[in-house]
Amino acid sequence: MTSVVEVSGLTKRFGKFSAVDDVSFGIEENTIYGLLGRNGAGKTTMMQLLTGQQFATTGTISVFGQSPVENASVLSKVCFIKESQAYPEDFRPKHVFASAPWFFEHWDAAFAERLIRDFNVPINRRIKKLSRGQLSAVGVIVGLASRAPLTFFDEPYLGLDAVARQIFYDRLLEDFAEHPRTVILSTHLIDEVSALLEHVIVIDGGRIIIDEDADALRGSAATVAGTKAAVDVFVAKRTVIHRENLGGLTSVTLDHLGESDRAAARRAGLDVGQVSLQQLIVRKTSIPEAEFGAQS
Amino acid sequence: MTATAAATSAVPSREFGAGRHVIAVLRLLFVNKAQLLYVPIGGQVAIFLLNYAIWWIIVVAAGANPGDHPKIHLEYSGAVLYTFVFAMIIAVQAMLRTFPFSLGFGVTRRDFYLGSSVAFVILAAIFAAVVTLLGSIELATKGWGIGGYLFAPAYFSDTFWLARFAVYFLLLLLLMFVGALVSAIYMRWRAFGVSLFFILLGVVIVGVIAAVTLTHEWDATSSWVNRTGAFGLVVWSLVPTAICAVGGFLVLRRATPKS
Repeated sequence: MTSVVEVSGLTKRFGKFSAVDDVSFGIEENTIYGLLGRNGAGKTTMMQLLTGQQFATTGTISVFGQSPVENASVLSKVCFIKESQAYPEDFRPKHVFASAPWFFEHWDAAFAERLIRDFNVPINRRIKKLSRGQLSAVGVIVGLASRAPLTFFDEPYLGLDAVARQIFYDRLLEDFAEHPRTVILSTHLIDEVSALLEHVIVIDGGRIIIDEDADALRGSAATVAGTKAAVDVFVAKRTVIHRENLGGLTSVTLDHLGESDRAAARRAGLDVGQVSLQQLIVRKTSIPEAEFGAQS
Repeated sequence: MTATAAATSAVPSREFGAGRHVIAVLRLLFVNKAQLLYVPIGGQVAIFLLNYAIWWIIVVAAGANPGDHPKIHLEYSGAVLYTFVFAMIIAVQAMLRTFPFSLGFGVTRRDFYLGSSVAFVILAAIFAAVVTLLGSIELATKGWGIGGYLFAPAYFSDTFWLARFAVYFLLLLLLMFVGALVSAIYMRWRAFGVSLFFILLGVVIVGVIAAVTLTHEWDATSSWVNRTGAFGLVVWSLVPTAICAVGGFLVLRRATPKS
């Protein structure tokens, strides 16, 4: 595997506030990444730094082996779809789709046509008259049909209904299989996209708290439930990331629980359960669960 | 890996690089022709027709026959200001709206600014050409048959069409790059930067007035203005135009769109 992005010691401060705080990671080629975290965790700032839209305070960013800042040969391979994307005054979707091929070498017009039909986008309506969902669909179509080697989707589907979101996931996977590329997706809807993601980066308070293969992450964590006494004995020497008590019963979430440990827990008469990616991230970022999954 | 997949891999492709994005930005700014050409030209023509109706009313009220050779000269008008303001707004919107949009398409600030600058020059030429052409018709028909002048008003001492074109073109260019500079300052430093810019501009203007007054050079200044003439002054506008154009580029080079 080749690295398309290398980040080292990256910090971005706005005044005294560190939006990104001493972060280092790499992005592998032809992989779908999930960049997850709460509102204000630093996801958008991170994407803006990687696409040269923001300037780093300290640290280095290398995209396709070079700094992305004002670098035409790097940025011509990058597409960044933002939820809050501004469009030129009085633009209609047809103007967006007409101009996108001038910027993206691998633009597939037939694919774009198909997506416009799939998402039912009114191409002659003024952008400012589009519904929230139609507006998101315009961005999603550009992001998919551009086939940019490095594509960023920042909360791409606010306002898209469940059917439209499913179309997005399906088309992304289909097209990704035929035209592999690197996709970085930030989202709140973790469980919904969890099957899509191959690698997960969780950012909280400007720092990376998880950077792991999605399958490994899903497989490693577990819940252990049983009587309070039995659970306490079992977890005595383990790191508990979450604990719930109900009467005499206790359920704990453990970060890493190997096969032998799971067997040991079962022998101790405890129930071992799966933790969804969303639950795990919620536990790790120690915030109310309602924060995630709530579609605005 | 298929051939197509290999093409999308991390090998840098220079042939789809800088120069193409400059042209792509230029085309992007012209993609919505209704907004850019038909609305301002249609608006200016509508303003002309309203003026024409007013001239007609004045001529009739003055007791003349509109069909007669004009006895009343309505030679002063600022109605072309509409096109100037529209041109400035186009430049402002390019910086405020098209700039953040283009960054998402993987355009560098440099390529965006170069493409936009070429677009401004082309637009200034188109608008100036339309106004010049209408002015020539106006002069040839002696004020559209009723002595009303809007596109070639009496401010022009020289009625030669190329002189009129140059004045319109250079003024449009100045306004567009002033708009580009101020909105680039907004993109980089937001409202605070724009306020500071206008305060500093005010300080400079007051400073120049003070310097001229204290050195008792008003006579020399006014005689220079008279010697230079309207056309000469407009040519001098290339200096502030160039300062705004270069300044806008330097400011936008480090500007960041709102997240």
